[in-house]
Amino acid sequence: MGRLDLRRIFQYGLVLFVAVTLNFLLPRFMPGNPLELIAGVDVGLLTPEQRAQVVAEAGLDLPLWRQYFQYWGDLITGDFGFSYRSSRPIVDMIAERLPWTLLLTFASLALSAVIGVIAGAVSAWRRGRKLDLSFLSSMIALESLPSFWLGMLFVSILAVSMGIFPSFGAETPASSLTGWDRFQDIAIHAVLPVATLSIVSVPGIYMTMRYSMLEVLGEDFIRTARAKGAAESRVLFGHVARNAFAPVLTVLALRLGYAFGGTVVIETVFSYPGLGRLVFEAVGGRDYPVMQGAFLVFTIAVLIANLLADLLYPLVDPRTRTS
Amino acid sequence: MNKYSVRLLALITVLAVLAAACGPAADDPETSPTTQAGQGEGDGESTTTSPDDADPEEEPDAPKPTVRAAIVGDEGTLNPYTYVTGFPGWNLLTMQYDTIMQLDADGVPQPWLAESVEVSDDGLQYQITLHPDVQWNDGESLTAEDVAFTVEYFLENPHSRFTRDLTGVTGAEVTGDLTVNINLESPSPSFPLSALADVPIIPQHVWSTVTNPEEFQFEEVTNVASGPLKLVEYRPDQSYRFEANSNYFRGEPAVSEVILVQFADDTGALAAIRAGEVDVVFRPVSPEQIELLDAQDPIEIDQGPEFGSQILLYDATKPPFDDPVVRQAMSLAIDRQDLVDTVFLGAATVGSVGWIHPVQAAFNPQVETVTDVDAANTLLDEAGYADTDGDGIREFDGQPMSFEILAPSDNSLRIRSSELISEMLTDIGIQTEVATVERTTLVEAVWPGFDVSQGRNYEMSIFGWSSPVLADVSRISSLVHSDPAIGAINVTGFSDPEMDEMAAQLTVETDEQARAQLLLDMQTLFAERLPFIPLLYPDGAYAFDSSVYDEWVFVAGQGIVSKLSLLPAAARP
Repeated sequence: MGRLDLRRIFQYGLVLFVAVTLNFLLPRFMPGNPLELIAGVDVGLLTPEQRAQVVAEAGLDLPLWRQYFQYWGDLITGDFGFSYRSSRPIVDMIAERLPWTLLLTFASLALSAVIGVIAGAVSAWRRGRKLDLSFLSSMIALESLPSFWLGMLFVSILAVSMGIFPSFGAETPASSLTGWDRFQDIAIHAVLPVATLSIVSVPGIYMTMRYSMLEVLGEDFIRTARAKGAAESRVLFGHVARNAFAPVLTVLALRLGYAFGGTVVIETVFSYPGLGRLVFEAVGGRDYPVMQGAFLVFTIAVLIANLLADLLYPLVDPRTRTS
Repeated sequence: MNKYSVRLLALITVLAVLAAACGPAADDPETSPTTQAGQGEGDGESTTTSPDDADPEEEPDAPKPTVRAAIVGDEGTLNPYTYVTGFPGWNLLTMQYDTIMQLDADGVPQPWLAESVEVSDDGLQYQITLHPDVQWNDGESLTAEDVAFTVEYFLENPHSRFTRDLTGVTGAEVTGDLTVNINLESPSPSFPLSALADVPIIPQHVWSTVTNPEEFQFEEVTNVASGPLKLVEYRPDQSYRFEANSNYFRGEPAVSEVILVQFADDTGALAAIRAGEVDVVFRPVSPEQIELLDAQDPIEIDQGPEFGSQILLYDATKPPFDDPVVRQAMSLAIDRQDLVDTVFLGAATVGSVGWIHPVQAAFNPQVETVTDVDAANTLLDEAGYADTDGDGIREFDGQPMSFEILAPSDNSLRIRSSELISEMLTDIGIQTEVATVERTTLVEAVWPGFDVSQGRNYEMSIFGWSSPVLADVSRISSLVHSDPAIGAINVTGFSDPEMDEMAAQLTVETDEQARAQLLLDMQTLFAERLPFIPLLYPDGAYAFDSSVYDEWVFVAGQGIVSKLSLLPAAARP
């Protein structure tokens, strides 16, 4: 088991500190003014007094350093604040949307991991043959596809023209389905977004797996295994794939963290009610508290993913175990 | 976060082209939008009619339809303190709540909750007699007390829109169960339009316990209201479900249910109506989409003039734009019809150099909007803006007349307009380059802190006001007066003593004839001095599925997103 020594904890703490500070600063360094959102409509027609009152209520008249300390204080006490746009608590807004993003993230990651790992393993095993080359070239082609374009293509062909899948959303709007029916409804709505996300993330996993496999294939113990007459499939999955899996695991763990950010595009294209869409709208309107809250979730996701990779790696690859 | 930002950037740039291309025809970012001109028939321009189209109204026994409507973005819990946008947020709000007066299809306020509205001779008191038998949807009666409570509540608990609507109101006095007087500090001729037809009446028995609406966490249960729809379910970023209020005092609604579906962008909403997943889009369709949608059965388009605008701004405090001659020459050089035809594919109205829309009653027909490149060149020649070094660009104060036009990256219509304008201006020796920037960045440059007293950081910019700015013609004062207290949205820094005098006079003049004359004169002066250059007014076009529901009413000032669209014809004003 990997050990979390003090230094490691300190590193994570430092990263978290820097990330939180950046979360605070970045939105404020973006040009533009959130007043329009806080005040609601017709901001230009407020009297100067009304405007000052709105700014003061949002704490935007304080010097930056005071806003910063206040931000830390609020974070520590678990107060993420209220959205400028909808005046709702950020915690609620994130909690409502997080499950949908998790659904897309885990479903697409699982799908792309299975496809990527198997295709990568098979490809490496057949290195240089027709199968490998066709896999490799199609993966390169897939990797170059922008996900929003792919998503729009799916909407246009599979939803609008053919009507096979719903074009938007996580569920039938305002439906009163429950139990199995609701599950099916959610599943069919998730098909296109998950497919899009998976398609764009398979190539990376495939490449890593293939490369890692090739490295392992050249190792002495593989020759030994073959020499002792082990079955082909046993060599492939029992020896090579198993040893090649460690780097892939790292890639998967990191992807898990980044996948949160990656869903921004897909959730927008499919009007999916997840965190990414919340961020998209918050960025457009300079809704600082929402941006900070969502970015914090992204940051924590990346940190947890890293931690996961750190902890899991030794399990898969005994060489990295320390005593 | 790097990956995220790169992807978001990619999204923004490319969706800007794809999605924003299908963006709202209403050219209306800054404040709240929507407004249909005085074009009552509404569907006068809709072209497709399927022959086998059964009119639901002809069969009284036909079940009332459930209408699924697309909106873009989340609108919170949709009560007076939680709705988000001016359009369609406010319109959706007023489908649940009622106002004292209601705009009819021509955009004229008519008594609604009120049976009658009288104004005292000095213009300082509005005497309101309420319709009897109006009930809140929880069964309580709506009385004069509720009206007085509403006025006081918005005055005490600042609300950016309704508190401003009631600026100058000193109080409301209940004089009987159904009679209430609203008193003003000074006469306000646009009060019926800007306040009585705008402020939703809220129930005292619910709101009297809400002491801090800015932070109060509302639930749907707070939406006790008197309107034709009642909110029964809200799913953030997904949907709203409204049920019809069958006891509505003006008559039972013509729909049984409205389901609002939230989309992330226009592209999604348009895909959904084409796929038959929604029945109407509560957002104007962009010009290049109109034909495509109209061609698909059973989708129809309801199109008409709107009061959103596309305008050309310049920093009128700095040379050479502080010279009316330069402004006039630019206006003459711009072929507005070309912008309407090329950029808007005809789905817009040529802008009047006097600002007021030709369909508005206050429009001055004497003000002519012309294109004359030769006249423009002569003006500049005579004023001494010569091209001394022969590079095709005139000079002023020894510098070339070469400027940057800021255009918003999320609005392809404005980008294309700017590019055309840039070409047109080369014909008069003015060189311009279109700089595309993010919308919020542009607004911050043009209108720092949304406060014109903070100055401005741009040379030229393409811009647009949302429909309320033009819909209430008296707002012209806030566009042209040099004192920010009156000219709150004079973003060009225009300053002209003669105009100041007229603009100040308009804010206090109560005599209707004198106001009308003042407005005519102001348009003449506007055309001469050009505080900014009005380019065009984008038309509104709304797509709906006629097989589900086709009783959409075009309301001047509101488009089709109005409670009138949900009521049987007999119940409309």
